[in-house]
Amino acid sequence: MSKQINVALIGNPNTGKTSVFNALTGLNQQVGNYPGITVEKKEGICKLPRGVKAHIIDLPGTYSLNASSLDESVVIELLLNKNDKDFPDVAVVVSDVENLKRNLLLFTQIKDLEIPCLLVVNMADRMRRKGITLDIGYLEQQLETKIAVISTRKNEGIENLKQQISNYKELSVKPCLNASEIDTEYFNRLQKAFPNQLLYKLWLVITQDVNFGKTDRKDIDAIASFKTKSKGDLKRLQQKETIKRYQFINNVLKRGQTIDITQATDVRTKLDRILTHKIWGYVIFFFILLTIFQAIYDWSSVPMDWIDSSFASLSNWVKETFPGGGKVTDLIAEGIISGLGGIVIFIPQIAFLFLFISILEESGYMSRVVFLMDRIMRRFGLSGKSIVPLISGTACAIPAIMATRNIESWKERLITILVTPFTTCSARLPVYLIIISLVIPEGRILGLSYQALTLMLLYLIGFGAAVGSAWILNKVLKIKSKTFFVVEMPNYKVPLFKNVALTVLEKTKAFIFGAGKIILAISIVLWVLASYGPGEQFNNAENIITEQYAAQDLTEDELQQKIASHKLEHSFIGLTGRAIEPAIRPLGYDWKIGIAIVSSFAAREVFVGTLATIYSVGSDDEETIKNRMAGEVNPILGGPLFNFASGISLLLFYAFAMQCMSTLAIVKKETNSWKWPTYQFVIMTAIAYIVALLSFQFLK
Amino acid sequence: MSTLFQDIIVFTILAVALVFLFKKYIWKKKAKKACGTDDCGCH
Repeated sequence: MSKQINVALIGNPNTGKTSVFNALTGLNQQVGNYPGITVEKKEGICKLPRGVKAHIIDLPGTYSLNASSLDESVVIELLLNKNDKDFPDVAVVVSDVENLKRNLLLFTQIKDLEIPCLLVVNMADRMRRKGITLDIGYLEQQLETKIAVISTRKNEGIENLKQQISNYKELSVKPCLNASEIDTEYFNRLQKAFPNQLLYKLWLVITQDVNFGKTDRKDIDAIASFKTKSKGDLKRLQQKETIKRYQFINNVLKRGQTIDITQATDVRTKLDRILTHKIWGYVIFFFILLTIFQAIYDWSSVPMDWIDSSFASLSNWVKETFPGGGKVTDLIAEGIISGLGGIVIFIPQIAFLFLFISILEESGYMSRVVFLMDRIMRRFGLSGKSIVPLISGTACAIPAIMATRNIESWKERLITILVTPFTTCSARLPVYLIIISLVIPEGRILGLSYQALTLMLLYLIGFGAAVGSAWILNKVLKIKSKTFFVVEMPNYKVPLFKNVALTVLEKTKAFIFGAGKIILAISIVLWVLASYGPGEQFNNAENIITEQYAAQDLTEDELQQKIASHKLEHSFIGLTGRAIEPAIRPLGYDWKIGIAIVSSFAAREVFVGTLATIYSVGSDDEETIKNRMAGEVNPILGGPLFNFASGISLLLFYAFAMQCMSTLAIVKKETNSWKWPTYQFVIMTAIAYIVALLSFQFLK
Repeated sequence: MSTLFQDIIVFTILAVALVFLFKKYIWKKKAKKACGTDDCGCH
């Protein structure tokens, strides 16, 4: 059996750590969560020389081992807990050649924990352009480690890195800094009280606000012979530690690194001048958004039509192949296949959305957007950092709300948490796309389709609602707090195809499988509710309809359709829909849309799957979801149910409504109170109802 | 297949779906940890 070792990939944000992870693991990777918390855990397997297998964990990016967020505390907790099954045999610290000094702070801290530590200098392809030369031999000697100089962009040095990881036992575990130099008297007392513990590890346990598994801070406080210092004194000692580390790093780099500024070419400054310009910056950002939405529509229509007709054919094939299967065949054909078709159809558009987001992030442009938007955000009581949750909210509000943790001011963080669900998440996308395709004409203006422009407008409405409500909340909430804005601007890079492809694959997979399971379960429940019902009207539907239409000359197909429609109306789902219909009729919806709205509270994308399931029940036609919806007739007003007025009303309802159980749960978790999610739900639903009502009444 | 047998299969699948949804939304494991900062409101 081959040996397996644990390798932890650690580094500052923007050092290309994920590129190194992708280069080492390729497709052998999976994404999950750390136990009990919602911090993303990426791990993968890499084959090393001599048949050794490496289990690689891509830890969250951190600037130092002084945790200020939950993501960073994950790194510290793992490095301090030898009993953790993921405790690394070797830590691979990824640094960026242009920010070596800052990156080495983290390296020296990890090395002081006496964990075998390998330094990776990434982005080596930029060295010549930036006029940087490194004396690797000298650096290895001073830092007492091995250094792998690599370029993930050019795929250089990866084999050497694997070789060095497999030789991890040869790495020195001698610390860079003698911890007792920070405060000799204090550290001597600490060592005396805990003679068998590593001094630097004890120091981290004392100074970090992390719930450690084995060495708890309370245990240290409980030892009578050792009296720790006040919070203020500990902070001063931490600063002293950082100064000492930088003194050491400066000495090492003085000879180990040479930077010749005359050789450096500076494209970055020129690009920044345009992309962060107070007018052109916004114009460029606007045109980039426009291009994205146009491309989402133009490029994905062919695969979407193909998927839609394939599911319709599959459903029909199941019915024709197993005609004697009765209810079980119907459940598969009308419930499961139709429900799943309602989500799979959106794979192309979601993949394109993530493709563009990933390219913008990889290229370094997203950080410029953060900087650019800070000027606007401030006026609305938000932090520049709020733009990150607002942009990542286009994928999903849940990680976006968790991303607010790096906003220092509680007031700004709370406002960001409360307004983020207005941003158009990917779960809204299926709803928007199907309704837009039904009610917005296919024409073009200046080469841009009306449908793409409508989609973009909905994204802008979501963003506008978020900043508008932030402005109101800033005035209403009486919480005092101070804040500052610091953002790292990474260098511009041509996005790596592998990174972009893996991100698109991972995000689309997460969307499809995460939402897919819920949609499948809800589709089954809905199908049962639509296929069973109480009382005579449901059980005796055939006789009732046959008698009712005996005088009329209906074909067999027309009669069967009348029976199916009657049964659906008197099924469990039909009765529920009828009960809520009076509340939603002023918005232009019938009871079937009402059911879809109620069920989509579990997840917005369930809306389309629900309608697909409801409209499939009793239907024998090989029709696509879109055609079935287009064929629905408004029972009161006549004409298509999904017309311009009801379509716009539905789009606006979904733009403002808090239709997501999981988001409410995460808001409760992040604010530690049901008060905020309750306000959020009531206010957002009220706004959605009023806006949808006004738009329908005005447009009908 | 008899109607009764079909109903049994359908309701078994329904029960599995309901248990899944119940576990997903109602019966969730509790998170153990605070976020690390003092003024976040989750301590």
